[in-house]
Amino acid sequence: MKRISDLEYLKLPRYKRLAYKVASFFASIPGAVWGLIKKIGLAIAGLFAGIGREISDIVSTFVHGSAPTKISYVVMGYGNMARGQWLRGILFLLFEIVFIGYMILAGGHWLSMLPSLGKQGPTEVYDWVLDTYTYEYHDNSFKILLYGVLTIFFIVAFIYTWRVNIRQNKIAEQILASGKKLKSGKDDLHSLVDDSFHKTLLALPMTGIIVFTVLPIIFMVLVAFTNYDGTHNGYSNNLFHWVGLDNFNTMLSWTANTRGGTQSYAATFGEVLTWTLIWAFFATFTNYFLGMLVAMAINKKGIRLKKMWRTILVMTIAIPQFISLLYVSKMFAKNGIMNGFLMDLGLIDQAIDFFGDASKPWLARVTVIVINIWIGIPYLMLMATGILMNIPQDLYESARIDGASGWQQYSKITLPYMLFVTGPYLLTSFTGNMNNFNVIFLLTGGAPTNSAASSAAGNVGYTDLLITWLFKITTGPQSQYYLASVVGIMVFVVVALITLIVYSALPSIKNEEDFQ
Amino acid sequence: MNTAAPVKRHMGLRASRRAANTAIYVVLIAISVIWLIPFICILLQSFRVESTNEVGYVVPHVWGFDNYVNLAKTDFWRWYRNTFVIAICVAVFQTVIVLCMSYTLSRFRFKMRKPIMKLMLVLSLFPGMLTMIILYRVLADIGLTQANAVPGLILVYIASSGMGYYVSKGFFDTISKSLDEAARVDGATRLKVLVKIILPLSKPIVIYTILTAFMAPWGDFVFARYISMGTSKGMNVAVGMYNWLNKDQIGSRYTMFCAGGVLVALPVTILFLMLQRYYVEGVTGGAVKG
Amino acid sequence: MASVTLKGVKKIYDNKVVAVHDFDLEIKDKEFVVFVGPSGCGKSTTLRMIAGLEDISEGTVEIDGTVVNDLQPKDRDIAMVFQNYALYPHMTVYDNIAFSLRLKKVPEEEVYAKVTNAAEILGITDYLMRKPRALSGGQRQRVAIGRAMVRNANVFLMDEPLSNLDAKLRNQMRAEIILLRQKLNTTFVYVTHDQTEAMTLGDRIVIMQDGYIEQVGTPTEVFEMPANIFVAEFIGAPKMNMMKTRLERNGDSYTVSPFGATMRVDGEKCASLLEHHAGSTDITLGVRPEHIVLREGPAADAIPCTLEVNEMMGSELHLHVYTEDGSRLIVRVPTLSLSAERRAALTRGAKLYISFESRVMHFFGPDGINLLTDLKNVRTATSSGDR
Repeated sequence: MKRISDLEYLKLPRYKRLAYKVASFFASIPGAVWGLIKKIGLAIAGLFAGIGREISDIVSTFVHGSAPTKISYVVMGYGNMARGQWLRGILFLLFEIVFIGYMILAGGHWLSMLPSLGKQGPTEVYDWVLDTYTYEYHDNSFKILLYGVLTIFFIVAFIYTWRVNIRQNKIAEQILASGKKLKSGKDDLHSLVDDSFHKTLLALPMTGIIVFTVLPIIFMVLVAFTNYDGTHNGYSNNLFHWVGLDNFNTMLSWTANTRGGTQSYAATFGEVLTWTLIWAFFATFTNYFLGMLVAMAINKKGIRLKKMWRTILVMTIAIPQFISLLYVSKMFAKNGIMNGFLMDLGLIDQAIDFFGDASKPWLARVTVIVINIWIGIPYLMLMATGILMNIPQDLYESARIDGASGWQQYSKITLPYMLFVTGPYLLTSFTGNMNNFNVIFLLTGGAPTNSAASSAAGNVGYTDLLITWLFKITTGPQSQYYLASVVGIMVFVVVALITLIVYSALPSIKNEEDFQ
Repeated sequence: MNTAAPVKRHMGLRASRRAANTAIYVVLIAISVIWLIPFICILLQSFRVESTNEVGYVVPHVWGFDNYVNLAKTDFWRWYRNTFVIAICVAVFQTVIVLCMSYTLSRFRFKMRKPIMKLMLVLSLFPGMLTMIILYRVLADIGLTQANAVPGLILVYIASSGMGYYVSKGFFDTISKSLDEAARVDGATRLKVLVKIILPLSKPIVIYTILTAFMAPWGDFVFARYISMGTSKGMNVAVGMYNWLNKDQIGSRYTMFCAGGVLVALPVTILFLMLQRYYVEGVTGGAVKG
Repeated sequence: MASVTLKGVKKIYDNKVVAVHDFDLEIKDKEFVVFVGPSGCGKSTTLRMIAGLEDISEGTVEIDGTVVNDLQPKDRDIAMVFQNYALYPHMTVYDNIAFSLRLKKVPEEEVYAKVTNAAEILGITDYLMRKPRALSGGQRQRVAIGRAMVRNANVFLMDEPLSNLDAKLRNQMRAEIILLRQKLNTTFVYVTHDQTEAMTLGDRIVIMQDGYIEQVGTPTEVFEMPANIFVAEFIGAPKMNMMKTRLERNGDSYTVSPFGATMRVDGEKCASLLEHHAGSTDITLGVRPEHIVLREGPAADAIPCTLEVNEMMGSELHLHVYTEDGSRLIVRVPTLSLSAERRAALTRGAKLYISFESRVMHFFGPDGINLLTDLKNVRTATSSGDR
């Protein structure tokens, strides 16, 4: 595609400019993809180059190093201790001892079991004392997988620490060679509240995140490649084992699978994903625009009792969602207040089954979106109020002099400004709504039931999102953890794709900080 | 407005402005009614005596405190206490963790800063529910589920709370770095800078963090339900009261649900309205910052 | 091309605060008028009333003979440049400048021609596709001016357009505004708090304080014949020295005796005082720092004083001195008018003798009004204090 200069571009008539923009967007896609591939390639190459550099540095440090440095290659922290840095040295040594001890006592065992996830399941043994059969436990797949992953983490951490230990020797030698003094243990402790304060501050939060988020996510991603479910729970019954990509094949195949109802998993997945995206779109944008309108109404010049209107709406944020959502779901029940009210008014003569009528899936879906407006507007109103007040007044004054009408001021200034500022928020809000478990689960529980997609393994409803489906698979009668894990990975892929596309399509999002 | 200029046009402008405002008032009143009705209904029905089931009308025929009294016959107060304990612990620890995380990422420039922020972004793209199964199994192994679900839940809530650093980082970013630098030049350590300079300036965001951390456990449902696994002793209010609206219980527990709902909502709402100002600052600041 | 006439314009806010009192002014076609005054003096408010951004509480604003009180800003045929530029952050430079034209449904080819022409004049052609945040302060300023330019308005309003720029850029942009004015050849109303800007840009200057006009005049007029003490102190830097003293009339001659030095008032000033029938009275005698001369030694008509601070400004020296009764004065002397050893002697504590000719004296009566002014309705304002 031919690139044109700015002035040439501006000279084009309006529709051609649009066409040029669209064309150049599509023309940029191969370049962007190629750029991404190149970046990944470079990253991998960089990784290997980095490893190469590290290894050569390790070797050269050994060759040129003094005796304490050389001993440190085997006895971690020896160099530190030999140079008087007792605190560091002892910590290094302690870590090494713990690591070796762990690997001998447990780590080696878990690691060796990891490829098979256990060979011998529980056996029934006759207990002479109790005169009954009891289980004798042998291998436990769950534990093998968990501790296997943990052991790998530990090994990586050890290699890193070992490397740090060597680098410290090298640096210490350089410092001593230049005639300066090394840091004492006291200095090290002091730096924890000063130069290295960030390490102190991050230690606790990052440990929590690694143990309770990173590790579980890696574990669950691995589960997608096993047959871990209620009957293969790797604990009291049968072991589970690696199945490769079987689960992904199941999920993405178009042949009906009895465990997934009368239609194929791929069809169900497609339906649920489509609804999830539709839901996320409407849930995000209806709230966004209506919330903005309410905020503008309240903030309009001459409207009194601004604080009261705002407080009424804000109050509804405070009330725990399970109360309001459960109550509202009952209001919309067949014998609920809503139907009673509508019948009293004579608008309908038969109660509407908002969430139960499988023949009208869209009734339930639209109702859910409408109720979500009720939930979301107060929050959006607050946010929009803050932003609207931040829009410099002189923009409007300038626009008035330029001849913009009220509507034009809104459409040409307020709205673009809001979108511009809240771009990142809209993205997180969209992905947040895709995973909005509470609203769907408490309002409808996924109802009405989609019979073609439901089976003994669990129900799937027309208002189910991927996330509530995931929950149902997990807690369903068969506890198909492996399938839940596949769905979870799919959710990740979809969300990540959307995020990636939005980030690359809207450059303003990247530099949102410049805007302020 | 008594100018020598034509008066007629002025009045025209004014009248149309007044008409627009009247329309807005009508809309605002309608909105207020729609938003308040469910809560008014809950309040009214919690005083209903004649029937404990769902009915098609709102105003009770017979008024009384029966439902509130009857709550004592259930596990309600135990759930209430559980939730309160969780909320307090989470509010304290989560605030500390979030502030540590966001302050560090806002103020320090170190090698791992960008990678950590990228990692947080990637992690946040995974549905949190995915990890529920393994967390349950691990907690079960150390005996922190079912009857002991309360400490287990606290652990789960606070462990990953560092990921919610974004809003307060945005706030810290707005505090001028020259303050840090001035204090550093004056000889303060990084710890002193945080405690003596930054925290006193961060009252709004600290309160916002405490408030949101305190409120979240009152509404959490999924994890609480999974980890308590049907054991009433370890439930929070959301899980416990959710069951009251089951098909087989709703007939006898519906008005009790309303009464319980009022008791749960009241303290949280009052606290919230008192600290509303800080909440608003957090929401708007966080949204603009992303 | 248009004239602007303000008749008895008043601005009263809801809380009964009066921001502008009975403002009367006639701005001629193609005139460049500068409103200047300390912050809060009502200059911006007046400008915004001309623009139609503020309601006019009382009085009328006419543009080209038409009362515009009830016209929307867009119908007043004006263009305005704001202090913070008011650039639309989400639009490119091109779209910013084209905004008003597009609202008027001007055909795109014409928009292109006008925008590129304006960009050419302002030297921002290379930035047309950028967003405002990617521009420097000076470039943003140019875009804001470009946006006003393309409107081809009859009246060009500027509200402190240079106050957000650094000193160097401000000087440069000031020169560019003078050039721009020659190119556009239209009526300008310009608001600033900086008297240098006012003096260099304006055909006429309107000096305001507390919502009142203190004086209207050409730069030369307000500099040479300030109507009252406020104007005298406001215009010129460093500000005029004020000395409490007495004007004595003996027949047809006058003397003043600031700080014990007796000076005869002669020449045209004497004639002028006679013309205004000035008698013996307490006055404030004003003399600009640059009009004071250093004497070699004590004399009957020289004020003895002590040097406190010597500020070397390059081409000139600012000498801060105090008299025997502790009053502070500033003396401004060209550096090269003094010999090297004389300059070396100007250290803290040095004894100096200063005097001035009678033609540089300004006489302000007890009410603060210039004894020699012919202007009517001069406010009896006293010193501005600090500025």
